[in-house]
Amino acid sequence: MNNLLAGILPQSGGLEASGSGKYTLAMGVLALLSVLGVAAGVHSLIAGHEHTFGVSRGVPWGILIAAYVFFVVTSTGLCIVSSVGHVFGFENFNPIAKRAVFLSIATIVAGFLVIAFEIENSWRMPVGNVIGANLTSNIWWMGTLYGAYLFFMMIEFVMLQKEQHKAATGFGLAGLLTGVAAHSNLGAVFGLLNGREFWHGPYMPIYFITSAAMSGCVAIIFFTIIAYKANGWKMSEGMKKSMESVAKMGALMMAIIIFFTCWKMISGVTGNPPGKYETIMTLLTGSYALNFWVGEVLLGMVIPFAIILVVRGRNINALFVAALAGMVGIFVMRYDLVIVGQLVPSYHGMGLVDYPELLSYAPTLHEYLVVLGGVAFCGLFFLMGEKLFRGHVAEHS
Amino acid sequence: MKIDDLEKTTSEDLGVLPSVVRRNILKLGLVVTGMYLGGSILSLTSVRNVYGAGVVPEVGKYPYNPHYSMVIREKLCIDCEQCKEACVKTNHVPAYGFRTTILEKRRSLGGEKFETTFMPVLCNHCNRPPCVRVCPTTATWKDEKTGIVTMNPGRCIGCKTCMTACPYNARYFKEETRAVDKCDFCFESRLSKGQTTTACVEACPADVRVFGNLADPKSRVFKLVHAPETMIWVLRPETGAIPNIYYINS
Amino acid sequence: MKKMLLVLVLGAGLLSGALLFAASNAQEKTAYDEDAYGPKAPIVWVKPVRSVIFEHKIHTMDAGLDCGSCHDSLFEMENGAAEKKDDFTMATLYKGGYCGSCHDGSAAFASNTRCTSCHIGARGHARLNSQGGTAVKSH
Ligand code: HEC
Ligand code: HEC
Ligand code: HEC
Repeated sequence: MNNLLAGILPQSGGLEASGSGKYTLAMGVLALLSVLGVAAGVHSLIAGHEHTFGVSRGVPWGILIAAYVFFVVTSTGLCIVSSVGHVFGFENFNPIAKRAVFLSIATIVAGFLVIAFEIENSWRMPVGNVIGANLTSNIWWMGTLYGAYLFFMMIEFVMLQKEQHKAATGFGLAGLLTGVAAHSNLGAVFGLLNGREFWHGPYMPIYFITSAAMSGCVAIIFFTIIAYKANGWKMSEGMKKSMESVAKMGALMMAIIIFFTCWKMISGVTGNPPGKYETIMTLLTGSYALNFWVGEVLLGMVIPFAIILVVRGRNINALFVAALAGMVGIFVMRYDLVIVGQLVPSYHGMGLVDYPELLSYAPTLHEYLVVLGGVAFCGLFFLMGEKLFRGHVAEHS
Repeated sequence: MKIDDLEKTTSEDLGVLPSVVRRNILKLGLVVTGMYLGGSILSLTSVRNVYGAGVVPEVGKYPYNPHYSMVIREKLCIDCEQCKEACVKTNHVPAYGFRTTILEKRRSLGGEKFETTFMPVLCNHCNRPPCVRVCPTTATWKDEKTGIVTMNPGRCIGCKTCMTACPYNARYFKEETRAVDKCDFCFESRLSKGQTTTACVEACPADVRVFGNLADPKSRVFKLVHAPETMIWVLRPETGAIPNIYYINS
Repeated sequence: MKKMLLVLVLGAGLLSGALLFAASNAQEKTAYDEDAYGPKAPIVWVKPVRSVIFEHKIHTMDAGLDCGSCHDSLFEMENGAAEKKDDFTMATLYKGGYCGSCHDGSAAFASNTRCTSCHIGARGHARLNSQGGTAVKSH
């Protein structure tokens, strides 16, 4: 074990993290939040979601699913971004690759942590998934593939640390393929529900993959800049170039997402398709309009896109603002996607009396705490990684 | 075109239309008749053929035997809710949940007047159940013999995907068993113990709910859905789930 | 001159207001008189099934029936009296008892049709209660 660790952990070189009090403080706060989140999650499992969560019969999926989707989208995106350099050989992407692989593990673990509390009997999963395997279930594929994905990414990371580049590339490719397959299955979890018009169709899997790539770019910029600023490291020329390339790729993905979103909205309004129209209008002018216009459109798309274009991906401070806005915006996108898709009740449009036009959902304290716990856990992981792996400095830079 | 020719045409059957078209037709049907009538447009011309190929499977083509189904004689429902009470008692349904419930439709009769129709709803025990497809651990499945969509609470991981997949809002999470709970046509509480009806059917004083084996030509459900001059519809046919709860207008 | 105008305008306003008030009051009077038409509050039975509604207004004021056509041959003047009897069922109605003496398809719509016009159900009852249990608006 010690030998193994010694093989992975760089003993020298790289960048030394400032082991100041600030670092300890940050770790402490994040650890505390993680513990709080886990406590809230465990309590909700014991007491039952009925009593602790805002989810209901009509809206069974709440902010925890949104957070899970957010984490795995980011993880898949980080894997995609890491493989651009690693697997496909675009040199500019190499400097961020190690950090991206590491963070893709951190984010997916955080995602699993959150979903473990959303699934009311997660302990039945290991056995149930095997003896009850249902090959027509997208959620089964998603879970299983993400399991494999985590495995591949961990091996890839170890291989990277051991400087075994061939093996790393192989596992990277395996991780990428399973990640993309898993992630498009996550899209299909929503997209193949015939009764849910807002989700139904091939759009979801396609959209999920594209937004994963976008999230990956945003996330790696966000975390890299934090790591460098917090530790007072100086960015090498290679890293700066890398940031620029990632930012430009991110901007391209944002453009595609903007394009997708436009048509999603237009097709949802044209001809008032039943079930879909109500949902789209909830986003455009209804109770989720603030989320949509400020959260999704401004923070998630327009602001980061505009900033990256204006500074041409070169100003690090500006990039950080873009990435921060992007992270928040992407979270709102996931939230709206999950929640708003469930708001139209099953028997809408049948002329029913005392039947809601739209259902409602609001997260409870328990749910917020679990989500916050997941975020904190991811942060904790990230900080530890920076210290242990000495700034994830890549092989050739 | 004569009626005979018309009966030969199949292209306008609900099944071959894309879902959006179907939905629009249904919506129009809704406007015209005030109800969700599968194929109400074609019913102006040839009722039997359309329904034969539509929501009611053709005689002899029932995938199960017994093929349990329920016919709801909707306009007789008076919302006394004795069915709900019986269900709660028989199947230990907690206060926050339900396996079956009554919804209320209202149609204007012009002026201040309107007509109320109560609409009982429950699990449709679909032939192509979306909830079964999505379950990662096969904690819910369609029984091969009876066609009843059943749950194994011990296998349920509580991901609630079946709840989002169900077009009929027929499922809820029961904290007491830590599993999703749903109508099983009283299989566990009654049918498996030799009784022949469900608790809700037995409790209904107005004979709204009729339960039985659709594959048996002598059963009352068979006779009801194959009776002449009867309007038969199912809820949300556009989802392609092929439900087994039939609503009739007589 | 200006003052005159002001007084005039004010006076006209007050006058028309008073007139309107009187008119609305009068309308309310002709709208429903409990002495002439029986109690305004609907009668709701919950036995043997939830819930059947009976409104005096529809029968006396709108359909022009007098008290004698029901009291006391068919119904007692006591809320809930019929409910206590065992034969207060559809079978009796179909045979011409209770409501069925008129709701037989000739004097008024038959008891085996339009179930929901008498049966407001548990949902309708709950709605009545949530409206304060007094006025039932439309019908
Ligand atoms: C169409 C039949 C019908 C007519 C006509 C009718 N009633 Fe009634 N009335 C009823 C019924 C039914 C009850 C409820 C009896 C019961 O619950 O057993 C009732 C009850 C009452 C009660 C008791 C209500 C209470 O809250 O206890 C009064 C008072 C009454 N009627 C007055 C009148 C008067 C006055 C008239 C004539 C203007 C009249 N009714 C005409 C059917 C009628
Ligand atoms: C004395 C004759 C008589 C009796 C007894 C009587 N009704 Fe009626 N009812 C009428 C008539 C007449 C009308 C108005 C004509 C119509 O709607 O057919 C009417 C109308 C109604 C309506 C209004 C239907 C609508 O248009 O919405 C309801 C509800 C109703 N009756 C309920 C009852 C109930 C419940 C009882 C028994 C408690 C009852 N009636 C007993 C004569 C009667
Ligand atoms: C004219 C009014 C009226 C109409 C129309 C009417 N009912 Fe009733 N119904 C009553 C009254 C009054 C009772 C007894 C009071 C109670 O149960 O609350 C009753 C009781 C019942 C009961 C319980 C007692 C029993 O007979 O078993 C059932 C079931 C019932 N009705 C079904 C129906 C159905 C089905 C229809 C339509 C086909 C219908 N009713 C139409 C007035 C009416």
